[in-house]
Amino acid sequence: MAPKPHRVLLDRVSGYADEAAAYMRRRRASRRPFARLYYAGGRAEDHATDSATGGELFVAAGRLIELAGKRPKS
Amino acid sequence: MADGETSTAVSGEAAEGALAYLTEMSPDLRGAAILAGDGAVLAASGDANRWREDAATLFEVADRGSEPVEQVHIGTEQGEVFALRHAGLAAVAVTDRFALASLSFFDMRAVLRDLAAGRPLSTFDVSEDVKSPKRRMGRKADGA
Repeated sequence: MAPKPHRVLLDRVSGYADEAAAYMRRRRASRRPFARLYYAGGRAEDHATDSATGGELFVAAGRLIELAGKRPKS
Repeated sequence: MADGETSTAVSGEAAEGALAYLTEMSPDLRGAAILAGDGAVLAASGDANRWREDAATLFEVADRGSEPVEQVHIGTEQGEVFALRHAGLAAVAVTDRFALASLSFFDMRAVLRDLAAGRPLSTFDVSEDVKSPKRRMGRKADGA
């Protein structure tokens, strides 16, 4: 039996809402600052922005970004 | 250095060529520096003293863990910073946001490896004026 028309519409709207929510989640995750350190042997460490080391890493990175400036337009 | 010393002394000219090559290879790159094992700047796309100080600070903070760091990757809203130690040398690069990390590290490692191996300068053939980091700096200074 074919689904009722209003159910099809609801499913579609709900699908779009899910897509939009997933997009916002991905966008939030990709815009979040991060500091990762990699060591010999493949070990890696993540440092949060509010940790002591993380804070200092972000300050050091900020200075380098400021030093490099904007990319010259070609 | 965490991963050994270079077999030969690296000349500033070779480092400049390597930096130009790296700049040309990475379209997202805003600026970079190549440093010797002792932290001295061999080539930089700007104020060499500032690059030496800021790179030293970055490595000093990163090395506070149990062992010396090999790679550093920091992403902020304003851009991304990559730092890498390889073959007794170090490279620090600043790129636009969302640069491909694995590719950036690959290029930096390749450049340091070739530089440390003392490959002839022709490997980094930057005879075209357009590839010179000095010219790029000039362009930046001109605001073009």
